[in-house]
Amino acid sequence: MKSDIDLARDAASGKEAAFEALVRRHQGTIRGMTRRLARHAAEADDIAQVTFLTAWRKIGSYRGGSFKAWLCTIAYREFLQVRRKQKPEVEFDEGAHIIAFDASAARMAEHLDLDRALKTLPENQRICVVLCVASGLSHSEATAATGFPLGTVKSHVNRGVVALRKQLADEDVA
Amino acid sequence: MQTEEKYDDLTALFAAQDDALHSDAFVDRVMRPIHKRARWRGPLLFGAGGLGVGAAISQMGGLLDAVNGRVASLNLSFSQVQTPALETLSGDTLWAAAILIVVVSCAAIVATERA
Repeated sequence: MKSDIDLARDAASGKEAAFEALVRRHQGTIRGMTRRLARHAAEADDIAQVTFLTAWRKIGSYRGGSFKAWLCTIAYREFLQVRRKQKPEVEFDEGAHIIAFDASAARMAEHLDLDRALKTLPENQRICVVLCVASGLSHSEATAATGFPLGTVKSHVNRGVVALRKQLADEDVA
Repeated sequence: MQTEEKYDDLTALFAAQDDALHSDAFVDRVMRPIHKRARWRGPLLFGAGGLGVGAAISQMGGLLDAVNGRVASLNLSFSQVQTPALETLSGDTLWAAAILIVVVSCAAIVATERA
């Protein structure tokens, strides 16, 4: 299997199949990331699509390193652009979420718990947790993507992880 | 300080969610505009290039005449040299060449935009 760097090089020379392989490989990470940041799944998928189209346009500027981190940085910037255009929305309606996804499958419940716990974090903490814990970026990569100082990223991640674990544990007990 | 490896349990939960999001429909959604643009890119690039080459070739005769006129005028007298060589080209030809250059430039820019 070709590495991300090889595929990116092929894509930069105009090979669409190589770029398609990259989309196929990273779509889960990017769609997951945008769903955790955006307000709605449809909006998240729009951001994810724009992310990949931007990546296709700018693939010639990719200079090695983690391709996933490069994509996540683009996704985060696209998310910020979308959010700037939006009006503030009413806070997350926990009840509505429960009704919409009240499935009996244990896996769905687990995902729901995780999503719900994530939504309760303060925004910057949530962003850092999404980038570092969910998307697998290093603290340095998250620093480059967000522009937050390294110490701030580490602190947000540590606090966010503690809060997530506490919430998930509480829900298990309940 | 907490290291980055200490939340593998949470990372695994998120990764399971991400795996469930893989879909061919999304890949098609991303790739469709890219394929569509690529279908036009080749013909447009070659067309624009062809136009540019055509424009350049069409001017060769005029330029040669202009150069020849210039050389000939140098061999004559000072007063004849003051006549600009480009005046040997008609105004229409120059306009046509300028418009072609603009069209070719615009087409090349459009064609090299990737998506």
